[in-house]
Amino acid sequence: MSTTHFVRKQFTRTASWKPMAVIVPGLLFCSILSADPQPPRRQEQHFKVEAHPVVTIHNPNGLITVKAWTKAEVMVISNRASDSVEVDAEQMGNRVDVSTHAASDNVAPDDMRADYQINVPEDAELQIHNDSGEVNVANVLGDMNVETVAAAVDLEDSAGYVTIKTVGGSFQCTRCAGKLEISSISGNLRLTDIHSYHVHAQTSTGNILFSGEFLPNGIYRLKNYSGVIEVRFSPADSFDLSATSLKGKVINEASLTPKSHQQHFYSRFGNSLFGTFNAGRAKVELTSFDGTINILKRD
Amino acid sequence: MATITCKDFMDRLDSWMGGNPPGDAEAHLRNCSNCRSLIEDLKAICTEASSWRTEEVEVSPRIWTSLRSHLEQEGLIHENRPAESKTTWFAGWLAALPRPALAGAYLTLLIAAAFALSRPMNKQSNQALWLADSRDSTLPLRAQLIAEQDSFASFNNANPVVTASLNKNLAIVDNYIALCEKSVQEEPQNEVARDYLYEAYQQKADLLAQMTERGENNR
Repeated sequence: MSTTHFVRKQFTRTASWKPMAVIVPGLLFCSILSADPQPPRRQEQHFKVEAHPVVTIHNPNGLITVKAWTKAEVMVISNRASDSVEVDAEQMGNRVDVSTHAASDNVAPDDMRADYQINVPEDAELQIHNDSGEVNVANVLGDMNVETVAAAVDLEDSAGYVTIKTVGGSFQCTRCAGKLEISSISGNLRLTDIHSYHVHAQTSTGNILFSGEFLPNGIYRLKNYSGVIEVRFSPADSFDLSATSLKGKVINEASLTPKSHQQHFYSRFGNSLFGTFNAGRAKVELTSFDGTINILKRD
Repeated sequence: MATITCKDFMDRLDSWMGGNPPGDAEAHLRNCSNCRSLIEDLKAICTEASSWRTEEVEVSPRIWTSLRSHLEQEGLIHENRPAESKTTWFAGWLAALPRPALAGAYLTLLIAAAFALSRPMNKQSNQALWLADSRDSTLPLRAQLIAEQDSFASFNNANPVVTASLNKNLAIVDNYIALCEKSVQEEPQNEVARDYLYEAYQQKADLLAQMTERGENNR
């Protein structure tokens, strides 16, 4: 005799099947009604917006991915790590506010996390705060402000006025135009294929890499305390260069024409290099305290 | 090229000193020893001015004599007016000067004042002055930051990654401040080191504000 057959036989001996068929689903239904209604951890919301909408995102921890699309709406897909956190996404006029907050006291750190995938019109303005995790933004042409503590920020194909502030998070920017202002304490800053007329990047102990075009009348200021500042130029670039490292080295591969007039006051301190490359149309200022400054030819 | 008079040259002095010498002024300068001498003197003043307070400098009496004789020669100033008091003479002199010359003279007076202030000092006292200036301006800020830091002895955010990052970066900035302070002590006149020191303080203030905000949010 099989086990199933034995159990069924024993069961039919002690109880009738008919009452059980009513009781079990009833109990299940009651248990569902008595429990707290929890929204699904994954949510998708859509908000119709007009031109130049503003999207704000406040998240303590998680992966935030923002991409531009052609629709005149903002789509927010959130994924909570636990039921201990709640996600709010609401629209106020042409602004969409997205935030994550604790649903109760004493939420475990690992539970206090939400990931977002957000699609916005390409002219959207973004304001993102994400303490840890990661922030990725692609193809958004509006202005944006991103602030993180430990989260890395990765930006692609931007065109607006971009301000990035991290404490320890790294920043990477590829094919960015417009105006860039980046500050960090220990994050590395990597700016590649840049087509920006204004770049101001500063980190204390991180490295800075700049590889891009020096546009006529553009201003490029890169500054760190220690670490390496590396600037890559092409033979067609035209810039006026000042590079100073107080305690470190300045390594230069550009054929510079020395400036005729008197140098800046602090050129007497540290290792400095001043000169003009081609017509000197852009202004490039590189400053380090005890880091190395490399001015190298682009491959 | 048409030649110009010394008076015309004086009118063009501003653009000359601004680094854009007009062509006719250059031609005049080649032929006029007085104006050439004036330009040399003004250049010398500018060169000296850029390094004032860092080296012992002495204004050459020749500069003043030359400048004065040039202005007199051009009829721009008139000396020995016995009927007028000294103050009136000075006011009259200023009123008689054309604008560019007045601007030049004003600049010269400022430079002279700077020289007068720096002249009695030797290099050591200059350094002490720089150092004292740095201390005066950074000590209150420093005290404020220390007080702020002491107010939350152990920062502890719910997110251990954030806590670790903020504490690590605070240590980085503290180290950065210590090294900048050392550098300013060694080279008080080094403006780059002073800039870095101020920036380090700003970073610390910013970091402490973030820690306070997150600490409060966490409570």
